[in-house]
Amino acid sequence: MSKINFKIVTPEKVIYENDQIEQVTAPTTTGEITILPNHTPLVTILNPGELIFKQGEETHNFAVAGGFLEMKENNELIILADNAEHVDQIDIDRAQLAREKAVAQMSEIKNREDVDYARMQAIIDRESNRIRLGNKYRKLPKSE
Amino acid sequence: MGVNTKAIKRRIKSVSSTKKITKAMEMVAAAKMRKAVDTALKTRTYAKLAWEILVDLSKTQKSKMALLATRPVKKILLVLITSNRGLCGSFNSSIIKKTAIQMRDPKNMSRQRINGKSVESSDRAEIEVLGIGKKGAEFCKKIGYNLIASFTDLPDTPSLAGMLPISKMIIDEYTKKNYDKVVVAYTDFKSAMTQTPKLRQVLPISEIDLEKMFEELGEEDLQKEKTKIIASDKVSDYLFEPTRDEVLELILPKLVESQILQAALESSASEHSSRMLAMRSASDAAVEMIDELNLNFNKARQAAITQEIAEIAGGAAALN
Repeated sequence: MSKINFKIVTPEKVIYENDQIEQVTAPTTTGEITILPNHTPLVTILNPGELIFKQGEETHNFAVAGGFLEMKENNELIILADNAEHVDQIDIDRAQLAREKAVAQMSEIKNREDVDYARMQAIIDRESNRIRLGNKYRKLPKSE
Repeated sequence: MGVNTKAIKRRIKSVSSTKKITKAMEMVAAAKMRKAVDTALKTRTYAKLAWEILVDLSKTQKSKMALLATRPVKKILLVLITSNRGLCGSFNSSIIKKTAIQMRDPKNMSRQRINGKSVESSDRAEIEVLGIGKKGAEFCKKIGYNLIASFTDLPDTPSLAGMLPISKMIIDEYTKKNYDKVVVAYTDFKSAMTQTPKLRQVLPISEIDLEKMFEELGEEDLQKEKTKIIASDKVSDYLFEPTRDEVLELILPKLVESQILQAALESSASEHSSRMLAMRSASDAAVEMIDELNLNFNKARQAAITQEIAEIAGGAAALN
């Protein structure tokens, strides 16, 4: 069976690279989609959410903060994320703090430009997502 | 021993303490350079991939996105990236010199570099400067260029979050049609020994300039990639979700952001490496100077001893 050549890239670095991935589930703006090898070429926008991909029995879970997904015709799948991290590496306390700060700032700037508003909302979404995923995987025993 | 030897001794001491400082600064600059080069390399992947998506997208149909729109150039925004601190050789002066030469030639500056499209250039294009780094801002004030803003409190290694306010401002100003072209002046990091000042068009997004940027980054497989993309022209029936335009609308600002970040990172790598070189030659010069002073010191000491012996011998002869 063919495999997906999978890559997660952020503006600052390449987070993850593996060419033996069998399926990828990603949160897009039009709903969650799962991509299998030999998928037709596709470009789509990602929402903040959970990115799941499988290699054999192994499942990896990443928190992404939005971005793009590009599936190429040669089974190459690239995630251009604004930010991404493995769920085990999420610092929940810090995410909580960042979210509180963003919420506070948001209420301050409420009556100003809507551009800033949109950005603050994006930050809040991103941090909420991190908190949610961080909590979701915290109590689970480590997967093999 | 005379006064002469004392003075020389004092100079040796001061030169060797200066040498210690320059040596330390060299080491610090080397560490910072490594970090900046590392980050610059990591950023390239994202910029390259985003560009590839853009090429895939623009093949099918030219879109009317604000950031791709070309219009006759009346006003240019020049983003000048320099360092905050000096003691880095000719780093700042060479980028400023390059910029100054270009500023005197508005016709060339206002030319749009877009594939297969010619937008007329004008002689009377106005140029305004956005300064990153203290040195560039100081220069603009002195010469009297129109400095609209200056960012001077950036960290040593620029991060995406740190550059965001700048790129947001640039994109906003361009979308509001306050400027018809945005150019970045930065120093391209070729190696620790060579850095070249460069001007690049950032907005409107120009395929030629992007391509050139990647070529210079030494992406040899790019050409292959490109021919591959062209060869697979008919397979390019990508699906877009939700729509093409929405994808484009989101990806274009990202591309601009990553380009500006890249320019800032290249500049910072160049800054640190030229500082490292400047400090190394300062340390070398100090070593040379110490050697010479040591020789002079020994000569003066020997002369004093010889003179003393001659005096004693003279005195003994007089007693006899």
